[in-house]
Amino acid sequence: MSGPATAPATVEVTTWVTKLVGGDGGGARLFEEPVGPGDTVADVLRRVSARFPELDRALWQPGRQTLAEHIEVLVNDAVLGVSHELSSPLRAGDRVTLLGQYMGG
Amino acid sequence: MSPTRTRTRTAARPRRAAAGPPPGGYAGKILRVNLTTGKTWAEPWGAERMREELGGAGLGARILYEEVGPKAHWDHPENRLVLATGPLAGLPVWGTGGLTVVTRGALTDGATTTQANGFFGAALKYSGWDAIVVQGQARDWVYLYINDDVVELRDARGLKGKDTWETQQALEAEHGLSGHRMSVYAIGPAGENRVRFAAIHGDYGHVASKNGCGAVMGAKRLKAVCIVRGTKALAAHDARGVIQAAEDIAHDLKTDPSAATLYRWGTLPGVANLYKLGALPIKNYSTSVTSVDMADWDPVKLRNGFDHRGHQCNACGMHHCHIQVGTGRYAGELLDEPEYEGWSGAGWTIGLTDKAAISWLNTRLDRACVDVNEFGWICGWVMECLEKGYLTEQQVGFRLTWGDVDGAYRLLQMISHREGFGDVLAEGQKRAAERVGGQAQASAVYTMKGTSPRGHDHRARWEEMLDTCTGSCGTLESGVPVHVTELGLPARINPFDGEQVATLVAGILGRRHFEDSLGGCIFTFRTRMENLARALSAATGWTYTVDEGIRFGRRTAAILRAFNLRAGIGPELEYPSERYGSQPVDGPAKDHSVMAQWEKMLDVWYAKVGYDRKSGKPRADTLKALGLDDVARDLWGKGRR
Repeated sequence: MSGPATAPATVEVTTWVTKLVGGDGGGARLFEEPVGPGDTVADVLRRVSARFPELDRALWQPGRQTLAEHIEVLVNDAVLGVSHELSSPLRAGDRVTLLGQYMGG
Repeated sequence: MSPTRTRTRTAARPRRAAAGPPPGGYAGKILRVNLTTGKTWAEPWGAERMREELGGAGLGARILYEEVGPKAHWDHPENRLVLATGPLAGLPVWGTGGLTVVTRGALTDGATTTQANGFFGAALKYSGWDAIVVQGQARDWVYLYINDDVVELRDARGLKGKDTWETQQALEAEHGLSGHRMSVYAIGPAGENRVRFAAIHGDYGHVASKNGCGAVMGAKRLKAVCIVRGTKALAAHDARGVIQAAEDIAHDLKTDPSAATLYRWGTLPGVANLYKLGALPIKNYSTSVTSVDMADWDPVKLRNGFDHRGHQCNACGMHHCHIQVGTGRYAGELLDEPEYEGWSGAGWTIGLTDKAAISWLNTRLDRACVDVNEFGWICGWVMECLEKGYLTEQQVGFRLTWGDVDGAYRLLQMISHREGFGDVLAEGQKRAAERVGGQAQASAVYTMKGTSPRGHDHRARWEEMLDTCTGSCGTLESGVPVHVTELGLPARINPFDGEQVATLVAGILGRRHFEDSLGGCIFTFRTRMENLARALSAATGWTYTVDEGIRFGRRTAAILRAFNLRAGIGPELEYPSERYGSQPVDGPAKDHSVMAQWEKMLDVWYAKVGYDRKSGKPRADTLKALGLDDVARDLWGKGRR
């Protein structure tokens, strides 16, 4: 759901992934990211990850064009691929969530 | 009681030992135990068949296929209970105390492979054995005692009625050994009473839980297996190579973005993460949302309030632990910290969110030797049915409401001892639901084969639902996906695109059976297959590749499927129950119906794995490519397809 045109998008980094952005591996870290015309999901993720080298290495495959496999990306609570692709436009008020991939029972 | 006999359609090939010592990592012999006659003997195991069978799931599948005929049902003396480890067990690779149980299980009356850890696998290898194969049925309760070459069936009548922790404590006291010096795997009351989802529990917190393998042990009147940490030498072909591979595995676990969570917190992050994906099973799949603040369920907060005590498995650097409750009703209780499935099965599935209460109930389930997943589905189902009037208080015997931990424990006791309605529930969710019928049946979560799904809401994890329904081992056969790009698969898929889902599930088939044949842990083996193949090569002296590992795993899957087909379990049963396959009413997956794409998923999966969609058989060309000419002859006869 989109918010007002002037509002930024929110990038929510959760649980273990917070360790890659200076957290303790618990809870969540929220980043308010300005969204300009034509900005895509990938653009916003690249801007955030550029500030955190560990996140950058974990999130992207070399070249930063495609995502590596171990961090789930959700846009507005839907896993990437359902309603958004990396190349989909991101709008003000959208919420991008980074989750550690789940690996077992 | 009839004597045990071997009936096979395929003549068993001898596991003769080649001249000279076995390959590194192997003890070189299998312990055979006939409970009917009371005899035990050593079966040599030769290098050629070792490479073909590896250990664990691979060895067990072959034994099951060759020695358990279609009329030897799960509770028949001719059924085999294979307790196997693998070539990495006992070597300095993290988590290599692994035990794989293979048998004809009680829920499906079909093949089962299920894993546990602790110290069993290492203790077995240090005693000079690669596996134990139990057949027959004892006249009265016995336990198996192994101390190097001393192998004895001992009187266990005094242990009857004890739970699994009490059994281990009693055996430790009897032998004057504890901790790492003796491994005990046992059944509790549920196994003794042949509850169809009874598990085999060991070393205070480890469970081979799937498909009623504990009921099989109960049917054989085998209360426990007790192994003193032995004194036999265990050599690796290239010790330095094993260490190097082990260090790379450990490095992956500490640094890979997803495996690092397992290293630090085990599976605890699953609760909060799966909730975000709509995959946390809440109140028997009746909803996917909660008013509970999920910020309190991240791993840091899940560990708050408990005193932690390290409880690592053999050679393991992960952070598995016991917990002691600090305050409140359960203060002072020493419990096993629940894995994710403990939080879901003993908690969210039954509407219970008190963390101490969940931890307590989870340990009670382990001590009774009941599979936490199946118990969760059954208990949640009874709660929902009572709430909605599909079951009456008179039928159940008492009032049970969401989140009632005391009621859940009472139900556990009724099931474990088959008392009252507990006797119906002890048959497992599918049979209980079919017996009650009507709207109650429509509310039950199960597969048509009779297996219990793992502790997730698979309506948001279609790959696991497909895997659970098509798998031939009594639980997930392919999943969970890990390092899929190593196998040439895409890093991520649309989880609600049936074709992509089926392609992924088929594409990773083989990896899990390979892992489960090495003698290690599903969690410490969350590394690249290349590292596992390197460790195996260094241990044995073979040149083992990722491709050979996948081929091996697919061969194991095909053997298990052939066994199930012979047992009458075919593709007509590869469906979820009505509730299991329903569309969520809320939450992240509410707009997605798995059943709308089910047939397409089956079509794609069958084509990708090389099985015949109509009959369910692995195609003859598939079997030939896997080196299973004997299975091809059994399934297809002379006119191969």
